[in-house]
Amino acid sequence: MPISDSQKKIVTILADGEFHSGTELADTLDISRSAICKQLNQLIEFGLQFNAVSGKGYRLESALQLLSDRLIKKHLSAAAQSLIAEMEIHHCIHSTNSYLVEKSRQTKKTAVVCFAEYQTAGKGRRGREWVSPFGSNIYLSILYQFQQGPAAISGLSLAVGVAVIRALKDCGVEGVGLKWPNDIFWQGKKLAGILIEVSGESSGPCSAVVGLGLNLYLPKEKAKSITQDWVDLSQILIGHPVKIRNRLAATLLNHLMPIIANFEQDTLLSYLEEWRKYDCMKGRDVQIFIGQQTFSGTVKGIDDNGLLLLTDERGNVRAFSSGEVSFSKT
Amino acid sequence: MDIRKIKKLIEIIEESDIAEIEISEGEESVRISRYSSSTPAPVAIAAPAATPVSPPSPSSVADSSEQLPAGHIVKSPMVGTFYSAASPTATSPFVKVGQSVKEGETLCIIEAMKILNQIEADKSGVIKQILVENAQPVEYDQPLFIIE
Repeated sequence: MPISDSQKKIVTILADGEFHSGTELADTLDISRSAICKQLNQLIEFGLQFNAVSGKGYRLESALQLLSDRLIKKHLSAAAQSLIAEMEIHHCIHSTNSYLVEKSRQTKKTAVVCFAEYQTAGKGRRGREWVSPFGSNIYLSILYQFQQGPAAISGLSLAVGVAVIRALKDCGVEGVGLKWPNDIFWQGKKLAGILIEVSGESSGPCSAVVGLGLNLYLPKEKAKSITQDWVDLSQILIGHPVKIRNRLAATLLNHLMPIIANFEQDTLLSYLEEWRKYDCMKGRDVQIFIGQQTFSGTVKGIDDNGLLLLTDERGNVRAFSSGEVSFSKT
Repeated sequence: MDIRKIKKLIEIIEESDIAEIEISEGEESVRISRYSSSTPAPVAIAAPAATPVSPPSPSSVADSSEQLPAGHIVKSPMVGTFYSAASPTATSPFVKVGQSVKEGETLCIIEAMKILNQIEADKSGVIKQILVENAQPVEYDQPLFIIE
């Protein structure tokens, strides 16, 4: 269900995290108080949490900084700005990635950037859900059209991981690392995920949609369905990360855009050393699942093509290009 | 390390679908990779893993392609994992045998390093045969579909 204009107005008023009475809301929107109630209930469905106190009114459990075209552009570097043909900010969308994959069939524009406050069908790898409540995280996708075919951008996933780490460090987030190929981890917990979808002819050109989900503040209630250890920036940073939401959005683009746009020339070789510095799997015992098969071993690192190197118990090293990697329980 | 031993190792690797192997013997160690790491060639994504059960070794792939029924062969543009449907919970695969497809229609997804590549039909026609099982590792240039 799309978010209505009344709901947008209510969220904008309540974004400051202060109490606002039902009467104030009703007057501002020129609708009845019971209509306000109905709208608030709908907003709870979208993942917002309210405190309602009689005599005081309603307050968001956590203040929001809604995405703003103006604020993002204010923090955008000239280099990133020059690489973006179009930037869209949606209140509500099924999935920023799916949206741009559909769009790539109709447009030659590059790059197209899409943010959303809320995703009704946020997705991870292979149909997994990406929990996407309203207003407090980053859901970002970038459509970029490459000249060559999918084989030429095979290490892009690792380079994008490096870009996200750089952006987080720029915003004062320390201690973040990469789990091959590009999950962003902090103290063994997942902070952000990246999903790249490529379509086009084998020999090129091809269009890639690079999607990022980054947790800033994830209400516990909404995180119940997440099956792995997770973390959000509110647990890492001192001070509420939501206050830097637009700056963080711009900083991500400042690092992502040049890396994506120059990847065909620079290739993964330009980012290998940095990726290895952030490797949080090296030396760990892991299992890799590919289809029905499972492989166990110790992570040796990545080779120069970005493949995961695993040493088995006999000391043989194997390189993997895909598969689900999980840390063995110790 | 004995040069004959290394030669033998290279032969073994050529016959398997192992992308890279490193062997240590005392203080010496040798690493043999199927692909050059100095230049990131487009085909440089190595095999997902050696499959001890029934690896589609390069030679057997070549043999089987000789026995393939006539028609247009859609080959894998990369090494990765083959998926026949958009997600594991999808009710139906992208395409089934006997189905007509148009040029540009998605036939499958091949995942490599968490990049999900939609493989499109490069020719319109009817799917005559699907040569790979869902979630199976595939090699570069391995035949995936036959379109007639």
